[in-house]
Parts: sequence; structure tokens; C-alpha cells
Amino acid sequence: MGIPQTNSGLDSGSTRVHAAADEARLFVEQASYAYGAGRREDPPFALAPVSFQVRPRELLAIVGPNASGKSTLLRLLAGTLVPLSGRVRLDGHEVSRLPARIRAQRIALVAQESALLFPLRVWEYVLQGRRPYGRWPGFETPDDWAIAAEALAQVSADHLRDRWMGELSGGEKQRVVLARALAQQPLLLLLDEPTLHLDLGAQVSLLRRLRRLARTNRYAVVVVTHELNLAGAFADQVVLLQQGKCLRVGTPAEVFERELLEQVFGAPLEIEVTPAGRPRVHLRAEP
Amino acid sequence: MFDRLRPAALCLFLAALAAEAQPAPAATKTSGAVRSVMDDTGRTVHVPAQVRRIVSLAPSLTETLFALGVGDRVVGVSDYCNYPAAARSRPRVGAPLNPSLESIAALQPDLVVAAKSANRRETVDELARFGLATYATDAHSVEQVLTSIEHLADALGIAEAGHQLTGALRARLAHLQQQLAGRTPRRVLLVVWHEPLISIGRNTFIADALRYAGASHVIETEQDWPRLSLEEVVRVQPEYLLFAGDHAAAMASLLASLPQRPGWRKLAAVQQHRTLLLDESINRPSPRLLDAIETIARQLHPEAFQQKPAPPTPAAPGFAALRSCAPAGSRTRAGSADWPVSAYAEVNRSRRAER
Amino acid sequence: MKPLTARRVWLICGGMLAALLVSVLIALKLGAVPIPATDLALSLARALVGAEIPADHQLIIFEMRLPRILLAILVGASLAVAGAGFQALLRNPLADPYVLGVSSGAALGAIVSLVLLPRVALASPVAAFLGAVLATTTVYFLGRRGGQLDSHTLLLAGIITASFLSAVIMFLMTTLPSSHLRGMAFWLMGDLSVAPPVSLSVLFMLVAAGAAAIYTTAADLNLLLAGELEALHLGVEVNRVKLVVYLAASLLTGVAVSVSGAVGYVGLIVPHLLRLVFGHDYRLLIPTAAIGGAIALVLADALARTIVAPTELPVGAMTALAGAPMFIYLLRRRMH
Repeated sequence: MGIPQTNSGLDSGSTRVHAAADEARLFVEQASYAYGAGRREDPPFALAPVSFQVRPRELLAIVGPNASGKSTLLRLLAGTLVPLSGRVRLDGHEVSRLPARIRAQRIALVAQESALLFPLRVWEYVLQGRRPYGRWPGFETPDDWAIAAEALAQVSADHLRDRWMGELSGGEKQRVVLARALAQQPLLLLLDEPTLHLDLGAQVSLLRRLRRLARTNRYAVVVVTHELNLAGAFADQVVLLQQGKCLRVGTPAEVFERELLEQVFGAPLEIEVTPAGRPRVHLRAEP
Repeated sequence: MFDRLRPAALCLFLAALAAEAQPAPAATKTSGAVRSVMDDTGRTVHVPAQVRRIVSLAPSLTETLFALGVGDRVVGVSDYCNYPAAARSRPRVGAPLNPSLESIAALQPDLVVAAKSANRRETVDELARFGLATYATDAHSVEQVLTSIEHLADALGIAEAGHQLTGALRARLAHLQQQLAGRTPRRVLLVVWHEPLISIGRNTFIADALRYAGASHVIETEQDWPRLSLEEVVRVQPEYLLFAGDHAAAMASLLASLPQRPGWRKLAAVQQHRTLLLDESINRPSPRLLDAIETIARQLHPEAFQQKPAPPTPAAPGFAALRSCAPAGSRTRAGSADWPVSAYAEVNRSRRAER
Repeated sequence: MKPLTARRVWLICGGMLAALLVSVLIALKLGAVPIPATDLALSLARALVGAEIPADHQLIIFEMRLPRILLAILVGASLAVAGAGFQALLRNPLADPYVLGVSSGAALGAIVSLVLLPRVALASPVAAFLGAVLATTTVYFLGRRGGQLDSHTLLLAGIITASFLSAVIMFLMTTLPSSHLRGMAFWLMGDLSVAPPVSLSVLFMLVAAGAAAIYTTAADLNLLLAGELEALHLGVEVNRVKLVVYLAASLLTGVAVSVSGAVGYVGLIVPHLLRLVFGHDYRLLIPTAAIGGAIALVLADALARTIVAPTELPVGAMTALAGAPMFIYLLRRRMH
């Protein structure tokens, strides 16, 4: 298949690019960012150069305390920010230079949703994920309907198909939003704090689903999360940030080191390793 | 496939209709000779030599046409044309500001007459675009009212009747000036509407008419219908308040309530009941304006008229000449006659007044 | 699950065009001068085959009523599409074509021309259009944030500009000699009785261009309304879409207001009514709004010409009379 050209690309919507199995899909090298002096709305902030790679079927978690630059990094990965230095490449292409349409065919972002201005049915919402593939006037094809239906099935939400978005519970809505991202048939799936409003069971269920989808659909998945233990349990790699600096990149076992985490989060901690080799972080009991 | 054809077919149909709908260039309505005259607003009007059908869009012009003796040629009038009585039975074409162009066209007039004070320029332009000759009058003084009547008569081909009418009116004016000679003008304020307080400016024919009536308007502004503050009026304290209105009953009750109204009751004119209620004739640049001038003069300077017997028409003795404008028939306390249908009768009437 | 297809759009538009045709026929029939339906039918048939038509019917039907009806179609379509566009751009269901000051700019242009060039009939609509362009440009530069159009900033800038211009207009109307401005009262209400200075074909092309430009962004507007950031990540060129909608909707409003004054409620209510019937998808809403706006204004103008015949009400009076209760009804529906 080869690397697709940026101008033609995945327009028909049914072909997908397959990278070589162990070649890195997302390649981040010394990517940094600073909010410039001209933009007074944002406080001056910098993300120091950070490097890591994500392969297909891998799930990478970005963790760190508040204001550590997690969202900035995610926006660099999404291509909506241009790195000040370094490179962010997806299958060899610089993401910030891709045309918006092509980028939307390769990268799907799941973030906090804006309030809907008018009532929308679930299937309409998911169908919006097919927009990057549509030609003007943009009427969806039966292929698009099938892909959307399959996306809903993959998140076990097809029974919600005719419901109104405003009627859904937090967990249901989260799954529908994920379905829309899946309908984009991306190569890279980015999620910004997807577990924020979910209860524990829903959090676990989401992460399980993400891992399963990563395996099945060969995504590279990057999740920004506060939940250290979810990252520890489900991620293949973890990036630890603090105040814009990347402190460590590696497997959860490599990153979750007691002194490091205590210094970053400022709380007394204990690390336990499960039989599967996954670290679990506990608060150390107060004397 | 078929459903794509349907909207296309409808579009084609509408387009075909649209092609028919481009307005035709102005066509002359009559086949006879046409004269070019200039109306009061400077427009060139192509008036047919024979004007048999006239539509009047302003009440003042309807009155003037009847006074000139061509009332029988008036085939359409505006909704507000209520004088003389014969005018009320003519077909209506709508309010002066927004008449129905269709109705006017359906009456097939040779000439449409409009007044700048009552009608919109857009109406006149549209009528001209459809090829209907439209003559517009404009007057900002009593003398201009008279010359406007003469020009109109000239355009209609009845210059003689026009001169007779204006001659008689000028004679009345001159006579009135004689009677008022040497008298100090009374200081008056004419109130068009009380809330907000709207009066008249010095460039209106009404203000000029007041001068002929032996009055001087206390407010002199460039605006035609200025809004005034009551404090300003209290400051200048006019001797008389004149109320001009079409609705007699409402105005009468307004006058009665003035002494209780805040602000108004500080006016000496209100406290001493020096208020006059005028009918619509003061507002109309027509021959009836003279009646209004005479009425006002008699009320403001009664001592100037005591030596002569009161003429039969149309002045009423005493204060607050109340004229009913009910459509059922114009009756006044002095029992003024309706408009004489011919100029000859008008001339006779003014001669009677001189005796 | 029934997604929108092109076929469904064509079908619905076809039905609405048929309704428009019926409205046109009704409006041709109604008027201060009664014309029997049979006479009307005969005249229309004769016109279509190119035969002679009696002169008085020619004048009234084809030179007076029909151009006015066609003008109503163009103005109604412009206002409704512009209203739908602004409602999406400003993310506000209460937006109408005038909220960004386009009509106030046009009114000011018209007043200035009435005062400076009272004799020149064509000056008024042209000056009104220039006023609209000026207002649009001003609001554009005021409504930017970080160099791009921002919905909230734009709305504020528009409201402030509209208020300021309205104050200037009020000042001029009370201080200038009134005979110049008697027509302004009708203009401010919205009046179709004055023929436009350019031919209907030119107007049609302007309106078609504006509506087509907005339609190119219809699918993107659906996504924009579901969330601006999400739309960005779905590949929508948000800034370009906003600019296109802003310019096209302002053009449509400017054209409509220049030839007919500020006809109210059409741009606000027609999109909402159609959303009630056909849903929120802009790929269907834009064309149906155009046809629906045309129908609404054709019927409103027919009523304005006949309800107190022979006096002609300005068409804006009719749209307000009908529009205000409808607005209240729509408002109450949204409460549920």
C-alpha cells in the first residue's frame, strides 16, 4: 500500500493504511511548545521537548499533576498546535501540516463535549464522524451508515441508536462520543481525560474497551488521564509530565517508581506490583 | 429522476412569468395631445390636453378641485378626502401615504394630483413609472398656496377659473389686512399634538396663515413639525393656544382637561381659557384655509370686526369654534354652507362679505 | 435510522416549490382591484402562449402585481436563508438577519441619500446597500478575536453597532425636515411597493450567489452547531466556514434591505418553523428556508395589499402581526 499521499489519501473511506507491524505509528521527537507573548489570553507556558513513540495496537497514557502540560501535548499530537521545535509524525507525515480533512481521517480526538445547541439523535451524532470522508454536499452513503452502525456496535451502544443525545447518562454519552471517533476510522485515537465524570466501573469498562479496540482495529491510542491506577493497569507505555517537563517515558513498571511519584504528586505513596507485573499506587497510611 | 424534473419545471414556469413581468416603459394613456408642464416640485409632467378623469391623493387638493369647479371630473379620492360632501361618495384609493396603485390605475385617470405635504415621493415616482401623469403641489406660505392653485388650474386647462378663485381669495385677504391694520399681533402657539408636544415651524404655510390672521407664532424653528418641551412653552407664555385637530370630540375633552394637567396649568392661556379649537381647515393648503384665517382673526381681534355685520359664512361668534367633522354632514354653529360648487358662487360669497 | 439523502431534499423542495406556485397564484388573484379567477387564469394562459392580453389586466397583473410578487420571493428567500445562516454563525436561535447591524447601516444610508439627493430616485437603494456594506465591514473588524470571527464577540459587536446606528437614525429623523423622511417610516417597517433600481434578474443572481455560498457550508454548519472544537477535529475549516457564512448572509441581508427596507420576523421565524417540521439539518434547512421565506413574504404582501384595501399596509406590518404570536409559540415549545 505504501504511505498515502497527503492530497489524495483516504477519500473513499473504505481503504485504510497499514504500517508495518512493528514500525512506530506515532513518532514524537523533541516536540515542544510555548504559548507566545502575543496571545495574552493564555498564560506563558512551555512544554519542554518530549519524545516517545506509539506503535499500532498500543495504548499510551499521559499522566501528571494539574497544569503539567498534558492537554498541550495532546493538542500537539492532534495537530491543532504546531510544535515550536521537534516533530510529531503519524506514519511519517507531520500532523500539523496535514490538511484538516486528511488529518480528521487519521486522528480522532475524544474530549470534553460542548453543549449541544439543538437536539440530536445518537445515530446522527455518530454519523458526523464520517464527515471527513464526504464530498460536497456531503450526503452520507450507505457505506457511511454501515460504518457508523458498526462503530456503535463496537461500543455496545447500538440499542441507543434512536435515543436523543440529551437523554443519555454520562457513561452512555461517553460511549457514543467514542463511537463517533471510531466512525472516523482513524489511525490514532486521542482521549483527553475521558474518565473524568465516570464512576469506577465505567472507567474500567472504558479502558478495557479501548484496549480491545486498539487490538482489533489496530489503533494507536493515547489517553490523558488523572487516574494513575488505570494507567498502570491498562497502558503499554506511560509518559509522566510535571510542569511542562517530561520526567520519564516507559512501561508502567518503569515509570511508577515510588520516589519519583512522591516527588511529582507530593503525597506519601506505596507501589505494589500485581502478579501480572502491573504497578498499583496506594496512599501510604498516615502514622 | 422525475423528482428532479419537478422543481426545474416550476422554476421554468416562474421564469416565464418573470419574463412577462418586466415593467413596460411609460406609455401615454390618452391618444390626444400632451403638454409638458412643471409642477411645484420641479418635475416635468406630461399632462393630456383634455383632462377628464382626475384622481386626487390629498384632501386639500380634492377641496381645491371642487372649488375650481371640476369636482365632477374627480373620479377617485384618498381615504381622508371628506370635503366637500360630494367628495365622500367618490371611489377611494387608499390612505394618502400608502394608496393602492392598482386602484388608481384601474380608474384610468388622465392626471393624478398629489401634495408634497400629504403624499410620499415614492408613490409619485411609482405612478410615473407606470405611465400615469402625476402632478405634485407644494406650498410653504399662503401666497404659495394661491399660486399653487393657479398653476394647477393652468395645468388642467382652466386657468380662467383659477384666476377667479384666487382673485376672490386674495380680495378676502386684502380686506382682512385692512381690518387688522395697526393691530398688534397676538402671540400664539399652535399645538398639532399635545403628547408629545408637537407644533409647527416657520416654513409651513400654517405659520404664514397665522400671520395673516393677526397672530405671531411664539416658536420659530426650521423644522416643520418640531417637538417642544412644555417648559419652553411655559417660559414664553403665549397669549393664546390654538389646537388643530381632526377629531372634535377628543380635542374638546382634551381642552376641558387642560387646567388639571401638570405643566399646562402653568400657562396663562390655559388659566384664562384663551384656547381655540380649530378644525382641519387650518391644516389644508386649499381655499378653505382662508376660512380658518378669518375664523382665527375674529377670535383674536374681535374688536376689529364689531362695526361690520357678521358675514353669513363661515366665522362663528365667540370662542372655541367647534366644528363637527362627522361624516354624516358638515354642520357648524354658524351653519356654514357647504362648498359652493362653482367659482362663480365663491366670488359672490366674498362680495357679500364685503358689504 | 433515516439519514438525510439528496433524494429526500429534492422531494421536499419539489413539494415546497409547488406550494410556492400556489401562493403566487393566490397573490396574483388578491388585490385592491378585484379580478375574477377565471379572468386571471385566462390572462396567465394567454401570457404563457404569447397571445394578447387585455390592457388593464396587463398593467395590473403583469406590471404591478407580478413584479411585486417576484420581489417578495427574492426578499423572503434572502432573509430566511440569511437568518438561518446567522443563527448558526452566532450559535444563537434568537439571531435574525438584522442583529449584526446590517439593516441599521442600510437605513442610515437611505436617510443620508434622501437628505442629500432627494430628487434622485435610485440613490436611496444604492446608498442603503453601501450603508449595509459599511456596517458589515465595521462589525467584522470589531467582531474578531485573535484574528478570527468569534461568535460571542461578533454578536456583541453587532448589537452595539446596531444600537449606535439606530440612535443616529433616530436623531436624524427628529431633526431633519420631515417631508424628506416620510418614506422612512415605511422603509423601517419593510415595504415592497417601490420597484428596485436594478432588474429582477440581477437581484436574482445576487440572491442565488449568496444562498449557494451558504449552501456550500451546510454540512459543516451541522457540525459547527454540535461544537466548534469538535468540528475542528472533524476536519471542518471553521474559520473559513464562519467567514463565508458571515459574508454571504450579510450580502443577502444587504440586498433584501436595500430594496424593501427592514422586513421583520421572516429571517427569525421561518428557519425555526422549518426546523420544527423538517429537523435541524442545514442541508435541508437552507433550501427549504429559501422557499419557505418566499412563500411567507408572498402571502404576507398579498394580505398587506388587501386587508384594508384600498389602503396598502407596509408588508412589515403583516409579518410582525403574524410573526410575533408565532415567536411566542416557538418560545413556549422550546421550554419543553
